[in-house]
Amino acid sequence: MMSTQSLSMDAALLTDRERTLERIYAKTYPMVRHYVKENRGTDEDAKDIFQEALIAYYEKAIDGQLTLTSSVSTYLMGICKNLWRQELSKRACKTGLSHAPVDEIGEEIMVDDEQSPATLMTFVEQLGETCKSILVSFYYFGQRLEQIAEQHGYRSVRSATVQKFKCLERLRKAVSHLSIDQFKR
Amino acid sequence: MRPLLNEVQLLEDYLKGTLPEDQQLDVEVRLLWDQDVQQKLASQQRAYRALRLFGRRQLRAELEAIHIRLFG
Repeated sequence: MMSTQSLSMDAALLTDRERTLERIYAKTYPMVRHYVKENRGTDEDAKDIFQEALIAYYEKAIDGQLTLTSSVSTYLMGICKNLWRQELSKRACKTGLSHAPVDEIGEEIMVDDEQSPATLMTFVEQLGETCKSILVSFYYFGQRLEQIAEQHGYRSVRSATVQKFKCLERLRKAVSHLSIDQFKR
Repeated sequence: MRPLLNEVQLLEDYLKGTLPEDQQLDVEVRLLWDQDVQQKLASQQRAYRALRLFGRRQLRAELEAIHIRLFG
């Protein structure tokens, strides 16, 4: 019973992402906000935590990694509680150690890690609209090629597939220059 | 020589582990000695990562829009 329910939710996420997410959002966010505000957080904190949880849920659902034994709301609420507890202890730690030099080194490493994702994303941005849309729809949003072919006006799944690999090849070529530069450094 | 597109697809299937056993082994052996293929595979993995990051950011923007619509 439950698995059928989550299966149809996965299908709904694929075919009608926006409305499905909106439904989940409307139902679950008020509960999360209530919880976070009861526990020393703000509306902004609640929003950040909830969106992070929703993204994690989405990625797992699309991958087919998820077999929910409870409702989506309950599942998300569980992730949010965990994330918020982690955030609170992180904050407690930071105020406690704010004068320790070790902390600064830790933060520097964090900043370095964030550089690379931004660079990687610019390569996706530099693809044409069509390539960008096909690749992100397929590889991130998990849309079927039938759907992609229809949306982009390809006559067959086959030609959409060929186009998808052409686009991927272009992206691969673009990021390969990056990797050579990085190795040289 | 395989045409280029087939090679992109081949590496994708290799990473997913969906190739027939003999072809899977074929790619593995080539990866041992062919630096060109090694680099292509590394770049392809980087391309997937770029797409994941980009998609995630797009999803975040979509959620932001939903938030404003519902609770803004």
